[in-house]
Amino acid sequence: MFQPRPMTHLLIAASKAQMASVVTELYRHQIFHITDFVDQGKEGYEGVKIGVPQEHAGDLSNDLLKIRSLESVFQTNPSTQSNVQMRPAETIRAAIDSELPKIDEEVSSLTVKRSNAETRIRECQQRINELKPFALVPLELDLYRGYGNLTVYAGYIEHDIEISFPHEKHYQAGKDGNFIVVFVESKNSAEVEKNLADAGFQTVTLPGESGTVQAAVDKYTVEKNEATKVYEDCNVKIVELKAKYADLLAACDEVLSCDVERAEAPLRFATTDEAFVIDGWIPADEVEKVVAALNQATGERVYVVVDSSEVEDTAIPVEYNNPSYAKPAELFMDLYSRPKYKELDPTIILAIMFPLLFGFIVGDLGYGLLYLLLALVLRKTLLKMGEMGVKAFFVIIGAAISTSIFGLLYSEFFGVSLPWHSIIFSRHLPIGAGMEHAMPQVIELLIISIMLGVIYISVGRFFGMINHYRMDHPGSHRTKAILSQFGWNLILWGILVLVLSVVDLNEYCQFPFALPTFVGIPTIAGIIGAVMIIVGCVFVAIENPLDLMELPTNTLSHMLSFCRLAAVGLSSVAIAMVVNFLAFDLFITPAMINLDVVGVLLIIVGVIILILGHALNVALGILGGAIHPIRLHYVEFFTKFYQGGGIIYKPFGLKRKFSEE
Amino acid sequence: MAIESLTVEAAQALASGYTAIGAGLAVGLTGIGTGLGEMSIGAAAVGATAEDRGMFGLALVFTVLPETIVIFGLVVALLLLFV
Repeated sequence: MFQPRPMTHLLIAASKAQMASVVTELYRHQIFHITDFVDQGKEGYEGVKIGVPQEHAGDLSNDLLKIRSLESVFQTNPSTQSNVQMRPAETIRAAIDSELPKIDEEVSSLTVKRSNAETRIRECQQRINELKPFALVPLELDLYRGYGNLTVYAGYIEHDIEISFPHEKHYQAGKDGNFIVVFVESKNSAEVEKNLADAGFQTVTLPGESGTVQAAVDKYTVEKNEATKVYEDCNVKIVELKAKYADLLAACDEVLSCDVERAEAPLRFATTDEAFVIDGWIPADEVEKVVAALNQATGERVYVVVDSSEVEDTAIPVEYNNPSYAKPAELFMDLYSRPKYKELDPTIILAIMFPLLFGFIVGDLGYGLLYLLLALVLRKTLLKMGEMGVKAFFVIIGAAISTSIFGLLYSEFFGVSLPWHSIIFSRHLPIGAGMEHAMPQVIELLIISIMLGVIYISVGRFFGMINHYRMDHPGSHRTKAILSQFGWNLILWGILVLVLSVVDLNEYCQFPFALPTFVGIPTIAGIIGAVMIIVGCVFVAIENPLDLMELPTNTLSHMLSFCRLAAVGLSSVAIAMVVNFLAFDLFITPAMINLDVVGVLLIIVGVIILILGHALNVALGILGGAIHPIRLHYVEFFTKFYQGGGIIYKPFGLKRKFSEE
Repeated sequence: MAIESLTVEAAQALASGYTAIGAGLAVGLTGIGTGLGEMSIGAAAVGATAEDRGMFGLALVFTVLPETIVIFGLVVALLLLFV
């Protein structure tokens, strides 16, 4: 909680003879994060080079390429396949040797046949299209060619033309353009060409076929149908092959991916002529297990050192260490940036507050249940998307449940009041029949929002102090940075004390508890507030006087920004109530009194308004309810203490779905 | 119509009318401000997302940054109408 998983820096050295078994062992455990060796030619590293892949890596890559191309022909994707039984990797490897060439040949002969058929279909269709205009000319196709002193023109033209030389002309006006065929003596061709060009003539290729146009078209149609049949046959066969081999291919893909990754692992190691060193990180609680396993696998011919020297925290991979209920919120953290190793990890705050704030904003039983339904409908799609989808699914579920609970508390169901009064704050607006005297508790909602803002900003500053303490080098700079954060908090609370010394908020709103007020002691409170602000400013100025420029944005604006929680929520209620008002009060209720044909039509219009309006509000609720809390965290909260930029922990190894070693 | 001749009811009606206009202006004008702000951010955000789909989340958040302005307008309107 608040801390990533503790990591230990390991250096593994052995002779090259042990490389294969070390790599296999590390790969099997899937917990070692390798830091890639970069050959920088540094002093003390003479003779150390990046390793070369194992000899068979090239062959494995070729096989993998073949499998990927087969998968693309079959249009399958191993990552979305599920419910496949695990098979031993050895049998898969045997299958790659024995069956893969066969499958490859079978499929590639089919794809060649299919693509030939596809080309033929296209060619036939093109010929049919080209012959179509000639069908309107009462001439056989042989008559278009084979003349000594006649020139033939065929093509589209804007309008009919007059030709002053002896000629034969066929003109046919049409929707797609006017088609013209002209036969003239070759000696006059230059003049005729000019005439044609003036009328916007566009030539088409003269047909090379013989016989009537219809006969030629029929011939091509028959050919096209034959090719289509071949094409479809190929597709059917490919689908059959897909059903037969998809599972095997997915397993082969997985086994080969693993083998390739292992064979190419030396590219990430530092090697000499005889030995190699792997530099990397491992969760601290797994060290003993892995060291023991390495010793066993190599017969104790491996040298493992735990390096406890100080390392820049940007070089340490970061793995979240959150309780299971906070895992979904890691989605929002990775959207921003992974925390650094020594930085406070605020995931858990997001995990708790995001659903609460979402519920506080949308807060409607009807919408909450709709979101729940939406999550259940999207369940399959999301769960297929892997870890991220699962997190997204639980984020939606959390938000939906919270929205429903807040809906019960606010007494709202699609904007309509539930049979009881609102339990916390009323958000019912004076819109629609029977709501004339509704009075939303705007001030209360705003004050709660701003109070939340004050808490968020103060906690953010407090976290900032902790982060500076842990991440900065000891010295005066660190002290100043911590004091500056403290100073900002003093300014914030000083302003609050000043405000509370002149205004008694209890006069404007009603909470079950009395809000603190200092109006009874305005002078003392005023002095204390002013002193807090001045001391705060001094603390901030000690680190950097220019920071004081941020005073309006950093305190007031960020604090007031939390008003959005109340405001967006009220706007969502307003939209829901306006939709209900339009649908019921203007259309449905009046139509019900005197039900006739027009009345039924009015009711239908009312129902459409109701459905569209609430659909819009549900979509706006997702946008407003989700983006605003996230933004409040990112902009108003994180900017006080959080930098991020940590390396994501990527253990060496692949999670197997289809095969087992 | 001279101000002295207004009845109390008419004055109240006038006041509530002005309040409603004020609330409308608060939301409307800040909405335009937000729109202007989001215009260029949105264009840049779409560009960034086209370049790298991973930017989508951050781009979305950047795009809604100027929304603060219209929310302040909304808060002012709510205060005018309901307090």
